[in-house]
Amino acid sequence: MAGRVRVVRMSVEQPLWRALTAYRVLTLVYAALLAGFGSEKFERPWVVVAYLAFLALWTLVTLPRVANAASCTKRFLGLDLVVALVGILLTPLADFDAQHVDGPTLPSIWTAGSVLAFALKGGWRWAAFASTLVAVANIVERGEPSEDTFHNVVLVWVASIAIGYVVEVARASERTLARALEIEAATRERERLARDIHDSVLQVLAMVQRRGTALGGEAAELGRMAGEQEVALRTLVSSGLVPATRVSEDSAEGAVVRAVDTGDLERADEDEQAPCDLRSLLAVHAGSRVVFAEPGAPVLLPAAAARELAAAVSAALDNVRVHAGADAQAWILVEDEPDAVIVTVRDDGPGIPEGRLDQAEEEGRLGVALSIRGRLRDLGGTAELISVPGQGTEVELKIPKVSRGKAGTAR
Amino acid sequence: MSTPNTQASEERPIRVMVVDDHPMWRDAVARDLTESGFDVVATAGDGPGAVRRARAVTPDVLVLDLNLPGMPGVQVCKELVGSNPGLRVLVLSASGEHADVLEAVKSGATGYLLKSASTQELTDAVRATAAGDPVFTPGLAGLVLGEYRRLASDPAPAAPDQPKVPQLTDRETEVLRLVAKGLSYKQIAERLVISHRTVQNHVQNTLGKLQLHNRVELVRYAIEAGLDDV
Repeated sequence: MAGRVRVVRMSVEQPLWRALTAYRVLTLVYAALLAGFGSEKFERPWVVVAYLAFLALWTLVTLPRVANAASCTKRFLGLDLVVALVGILLTPLADFDAQHVDGPTLPSIWTAGSVLAFALKGGWRWAAFASTLVAVANIVERGEPSEDTFHNVVLVWVASIAIGYVVEVARASERTLARALEIEAATRERERLARDIHDSVLQVLAMVQRRGTALGGEAAELGRMAGEQEVALRTLVSSGLVPATRVSEDSAEGAVVRAVDTGDLERADEDEQAPCDLRSLLAVHAGSRVVFAEPGAPVLLPAAAARELAAAVSAALDNVRVHAGADAQAWILVEDEPDAVIVTVRDDGPGIPEGRLDQAEEEGRLGVALSIRGRLRDLGGTAELISVPGQGTEVELKIPKVSRGKAGTAR
Repeated sequence: MSTPNTQASEERPIRVMVVDDHPMWRDAVARDLTESGFDVVATAGDGPGAVRRARAVTPDVLVLDLNLPGMPGVQVCKELVGSNPGLRVLVLSASGEHADVLEAVKSGATGYLLKSASTQELTDAVRATAAGDPVFTPGLAGLVLGEYRRLASDPAPAAPDQPKVPQLTDRETEVLRLVAKGLSYKQIAERLVISHRTVQNHVQNTLGKLQLHNRVELVRYAIEAGLDDV
C-alpha cells in the first residue's frame, strides 16, 4: 500500500524536479553567455571567470541533488543559496559600475533556480525565506537601488511564494488522491470478497434447507431456519445494500468514515426531504413466506413518504397474517412508474367474496385496510383492495411522485 | 430446433448439462435430475470448462450458476447461446444479484430459479426450459418490468437510425405484473380469461424483446466501434 502512495506522489512532483534540473543547466549557460557578451564592462574579469567556473562545476556536480525531494537535502539547499548570494555580492567587485547602473548580477537568473529548489522542497514558507535573502543581497549589491530593482525584488518574492504555495496544494491533492485510490481499491476488494463469501454461504444455507426438507423430522426444522436466513441474506446481497453497510462497519480508518458520511447523509432519517430508496425499507420483509419483487434501480421517494409507505406495507402484511393465516404466502411488488410508485401486497389466502367486501366495509370490519387507506390519503396516494376468489387478496398502494421541479432539486 | 426439444421428452430423455463451481451443488443437482429421468450428459465447475464441454456435448438445457471461476456465468451464457441459439439456459443462482440476472436474461437465458427452490420446482423448471417455455420467478418479473421502465424513461434516441426502445403491450405488462405478484400461469390464465399457452407466449415475448434489443444494441456498438470490418 505504501508503494502505491509513493508511485502516485512521484507522478505529479517528479516533473517539477526534472524541470528544475533543466532550468539550472540552461540558466548556467545563460549566465556564461551574458558575461561573455558584456565582458568589456568588467574591471576585474578574473573574478567573473573564477566565479562562473566555480558555478559551472557546482551546478554540474550537484545535478543529482535536484533529481527528487529525497536527495535535495537542507545542507545542499543552504550551500546552493550561499553560492547564489556570493555571486550577487561579488558583482560590484568585478563591475565597479554595478552599484549605480541597472544590470545583470553574475549568476543572473540562475539565482531563481536556487529559490525554486526551496519552494519545491518546503513550500511557500521556505520559498519566502530564500527569496527574502536574495532580495536583501540584491539591494545590498545595487548600493543605490533604483525603482526597477525594487520591482524585480518584489517580483521574485511574489513568484517564489506563489510557486511554493502551488507545490503545497499539489502535494496535498496528491495525498488525497492516493488515499481515495487506496480506499476505493480496498472497498472493491472487500466487495469482491463479500460476493464470494455470500455466495458460498447462500449455497450452504440453500443446501441445508434442501437436504433438511428431504430428511424430515428435526432436520426439516433446521432446514426451515436455514431457509429463513438464506432469504434474509440474499435480499441483502441482491439489493446491493451490503457494500455501504460494510464500509460504515469497518470504519476504523478515518478516511473510510468520510467516504461513508455522504452516503449516510442521503439516507439519514432525520432529513425528511432527502430521497430514500424505498426498496431498502421493504427488503426487510422478505422471508420464507414473503417474496419481494423489485426493479433493479433505486426507487427514490422523500424519506417521510417512503417511511409511511413502508409502514402501510407492514400493516398490510400484518393483515395477511390475521386474515389469511400464519402460513399464508405473501408477495410484495414494487413498481417505479414515471409518475407514481406502486407497491402491491398480495396473499394466497381464500380472498374476500365479491359482495362481502362492501358489506365488511359498511360494517366497519376492514379496520386495518381503512387505516392503510388513511395513511395513503395523507400522502396524496390511494390504496385499493382487490380480491379474486381463489387467488387471494391484493392491496395496491399508489403514491404519486412529487412534481418534476421538486424532484429535480431533490436529486 | 423446437421439434426435437418439445417432442423428444417422451422418446429420449432431455440432455442436461450442470455448471456449478460447488461440487456439493453440482452433484446434488445432477443426482436429482438423473433420478427424475433427465440425462445429465456433462458437468463443469468453471467458466472456460463449461464453454468447452457444452460445445462438445451440445446439451438441450444448460443449468448454469452465475458465480463461476475463470469466466462469469453471464459470459458463458453469451458465448454458448451466441454460437448455438437452440440451446436453452436455465440460470440457477444463489445470490440473484440484480445486474447479473438481468444481464443473463438479456443475453439469452430463458429461465431463472433460485437455489432455494425445491427439487420439484427445479425438475419442473428444467422440463419447461427444455420445452422452450420461460421460467420466471416473481423477482425476475419485477426486474424485467423495472428494466422496461428504465429503457422507456431514458432520453429518446438522438439519431433516427438508432434502434427503437422495446416496449411492452398493455397485456404483456398486465401478465408480467401478475407474475411478479406471485400468480402461477394457470391463475393468470383464469383471471384474464385467456389460455395457459397465451400467458406463456406473453411472458416469452417480454424476454424476446429484451434479448432482441440487446443484440441490436451490440451490433450497433460493433458498427460504431468499427468492429464490423474485422
